[in-house]
Amino acid sequence: MSFYKDHYQVVIIGGALAGLSAALQLQAFGVKDILILEKHNLPGGLATSFVRDGFEIEATLHEMMSIGPKEDRLKVGQFFDEMGVDIDWLRVPEAYRFVEPKKNIDITLHAGFRTMADEINAKYPGWGEKVYQFMLLCNTVYDSMNYLSTHSMSKLQMLLKHPDFVKTAGYTAKEVIDTWGFPQDVVDILTPYWIYVGEPIDNLPFTIYAFLMADYFRGGSYVCRGFSHEMSMKLERKVEENGAQIEFRQEVEKILVKNGKVTGVRTKRGDVIHCDYVISAAYPNRVYTQMIEPASEVPEGAVKFINGMKLSVTTCSVMMILKGTPEEIGIKDYNIFQADSMESADLRAEGLTAGPFKYLTSICLNLSNPDCTPKGYTQFSITTLPRVQGFLDMKEEDYHAYKEKLAREMIAEYERVSGVTIHDRIEEIEVSTPATIAHYLGSWKGSIYGYTHSIDNHAVARLQMREEDHFIEGLEFACATGMSGNGMGPAVTNGRAAAKYTKAAMDAAKGGTAK
Amino acid sequence: MKVKGFLKDVGGASRVTKLRRETIQAASNVPDPKDPIRALADALHPGPEMYRLVSVTDASPTAKTFRFEPLGGHVPVFQAGQYACFYFKIGESVVTRAYSISSAPYEARLEKPYFEITVRKNRPYFVPDYIYSELKIGDEVKVDLPFSAFHVDPVRDSKTLMGLAGGSGITPFLSMAREIAHGTLDADLTILYGSVQHGDIVCGEELDRIAAACPRVKIVNIMSDDPEWEGEKGFVTEELIRKYSKGDVTYFFCGPWPMFFLVQKALKNMGVPDRRFRHEAMMQPANVRQIPGFPEDQIGQVHKITVVRGIQKDVIDGAADEPVAVSLERAGIPIDAHCRGGECGYCRAQLLKGNIFVSPLGDGRRKMDKEMGWFHSCSAFPTSDLEIKIPIL
Repeated sequence: MSFYKDHYQVVIIGGALAGLSAALQLQAFGVKDILILEKHNLPGGLATSFVRDGFEIEATLHEMMSIGPKEDRLKVGQFFDEMGVDIDWLRVPEAYRFVEPKKNIDITLHAGFRTMADEINAKYPGWGEKVYQFMLLCNTVYDSMNYLSTHSMSKLQMLLKHPDFVKTAGYTAKEVIDTWGFPQDVVDILTPYWIYVGEPIDNLPFTIYAFLMADYFRGGSYVCRGFSHEMSMKLERKVEENGAQIEFRQEVEKILVKNGKVTGVRTKRGDVIHCDYVISAAYPNRVYTQMIEPASEVPEGAVKFINGMKLSVTTCSVMMILKGTPEEIGIKDYNIFQADSMESADLRAEGLTAGPFKYLTSICLNLSNPDCTPKGYTQFSITTLPRVQGFLDMKEEDYHAYKEKLAREMIAEYERVSGVTIHDRIEEIEVSTPATIAHYLGSWKGSIYGYTHSIDNHAVARLQMREEDHFIEGLEFACATGMSGNGMGPAVTNGRAAAKYTKAAMDAAKGGTAK
Repeated sequence: MKVKGFLKDVGGASRVTKLRRETIQAASNVPDPKDPIRALADALHPGPEMYRLVSVTDASPTAKTFRFEPLGGHVPVFQAGQYACFYFKIGESVVTRAYSISSAPYEARLEKPYFEITVRKNRPYFVPDYIYSELKIGDEVKVDLPFSAFHVDPVRDSKTLMGLAGGSGITPFLSMAREIAHGTLDADLTILYGSVQHGDIVCGEELDRIAAACPRVKIVNIMSDDPEWEGEKGFVTEELIRKYSKGDVTYFFCGPWPMFFLVQKALKNMGVPDRRFRHEAMMQPANVRQIPGFPEDQIGQVHKITVVRGIQKDVIDGAADEPVAVSLERAGIPIDAHCRGGECGYCRAQLLKGNIFVSPLGDGRRKMDKEMGWFHSCSAFPTSDLEIKIPIL
């Protein structure tokens, strides 16, 4: 009895957003012979939900970037539209409310460069215009970045056509922001999104910071009516309609390599599946230290590469269903970022621990998606994104007590800063940690954000060094370690990039034009 | 835009590339395969592992307690109230069965760790008495644990607990009582335990012993049909629940469906908020007539189910009054159902063609799964010929 064909052109390891997007992009290129193997029993990885006592609970998605409104779709929204992946997007009402009690900062910003500049101006008179100009700079860098990620050009041409992008590329967000002379309060207000890329602004490339700011404030952000599971399911259905085979509960243990070239994979179940190309959502760390068979096929450069990369953040989240409507509870904001300090050094130090956490982001899903609970309830989550370091020595025996402590601390800190009481309204509660991520996704050290978006691992440098970061013929990666980095929007882009490089390799093998 | 000066600015891209290249060049060339967080996750959820049955003791005239020791020396940490999923090989079939763990979490952390389940004889279903008739001391069996959100959550729940148990539904409360008596679960527990006759009480002696020794645990036995019984009589009614409730109580229920409906109604009448009422994912009733809305005319009918796994297709019989998961198991096709109540979703499958009836009891499907034709095979019944896709196991 065989469940697989003897041979597939492409095997994709992981049926989450990157893997599914890679498949979709390959199909658009005309590649049809694709097998996707997913460890879990549903698609989507982190883009998922779960059900507790009749309540469906969003597992991760706060704000999907790069979608944009129907009339002005951004990159990911455009791709989904073009591929016929029809998702019921709901626009998130505000960008964020930012609260930093020690400085008495409490401000809510909405999408639209002019809108948010006016909102800042109302509290810090005289700075609105400068903030607006600053956002235009972010937008210019954003446009250049989107253009350059799909087009190659000479350095001179780049300087002529994308001068702002080129001139800011070598600097951290802090270095560039400092040249604008904003008061420190305004800087704090402009920088809470650092958490979505996992690097405080003194080490975060301005390019990445600008990308985030322009994307969120230009296009707004979105969630799916059917939770992020909707996105995963609709991608999966489309990929399957297009002729790919998808199998769940299939963890790939080995990638078979011979003479520097991929020949197939072996699953945990023991199936050996031959193929010419593998696109892996498993991190390079796992692939190069555990999965390549034989291990002698792993070049020294690949080991140096993974050892030279630092893991970005992972996540801890307290997900709750609360009794009462948001109004009854007193929750007014979809998203709050709250900070005890915005100093990079403080944020970095906190991120190396397992708590207590003070930099928190909370989401009240009902305020974007009123149907996400039955009437009379509220779906609410509190999240922080620490590094993996604080969790490396955690013991099985201490795990439940840790989760309890984490939940209590995060709830108390949210209540302290927001003035809203939620702890006596908890109907359902689940706490996720890096171990939760590792369990469901198998991702390396429970990480979700790939490698650091730091100045020593700059997206521009990743792009320039793409050839030298490539080690095994026929093997590409489609995960958060990719060029575009972390998050659900970039996951889609990373997947498409993997498809593009795979297709280029196919063309080259046929003697066609590569790249 | 100018940051530091034209030359420094325009050289930025080269500078960061050089920095990155140097960082990688300076890195170690020794592979480091250690992943302590995956190791933690695997310790907490190791998946199916082999255990040996080491003892069988009487828990009542009609129930026995089975103790299992792990071949690998490790029982994952679990919480009182959770269940273990057993994989029984019966003929050509691998049949899963969930049993609440009756031993306490601390017993799995002893030097010689073990866990126990307590099973009543003659529970009708597809695995009738397997564990009695087939399993012998020394036998090895595959078990996956722990599962279920049926446990105290100290952030949400009050510290005053009431266990509402019927029949063999006592077992998760036994685990809780043991853990409380051991001092490792900070709660007060009163158990209202409904049985037909006093001879049916499961683990009665042990519960009495725990209650006598630990002031935080109290047991109230209630007999529905036992003239000789001198204690509480009748069903677990609102009156009785009120009588033994004091303060902010969190109610936990584990028992048969008819009792669930009574208890649910009683608590509602009492004005107990939903958040104070926890209940275990119960198996679908063996008698489909107990399932609200079950299409009567389907009873006795048999449909054909085409089962797609990868490029393989098999056609099997699907009795309309048995869950799709049971038809699969009868045909020797593994499906890995865990809770068998519709909630957990391990047996998630895709409906490609045909019609199903999904039990409203414990329907744990996601919104989009419902809309896009995915179902939990333990709680779905064929009402026509079907084509379904399931994972390759």
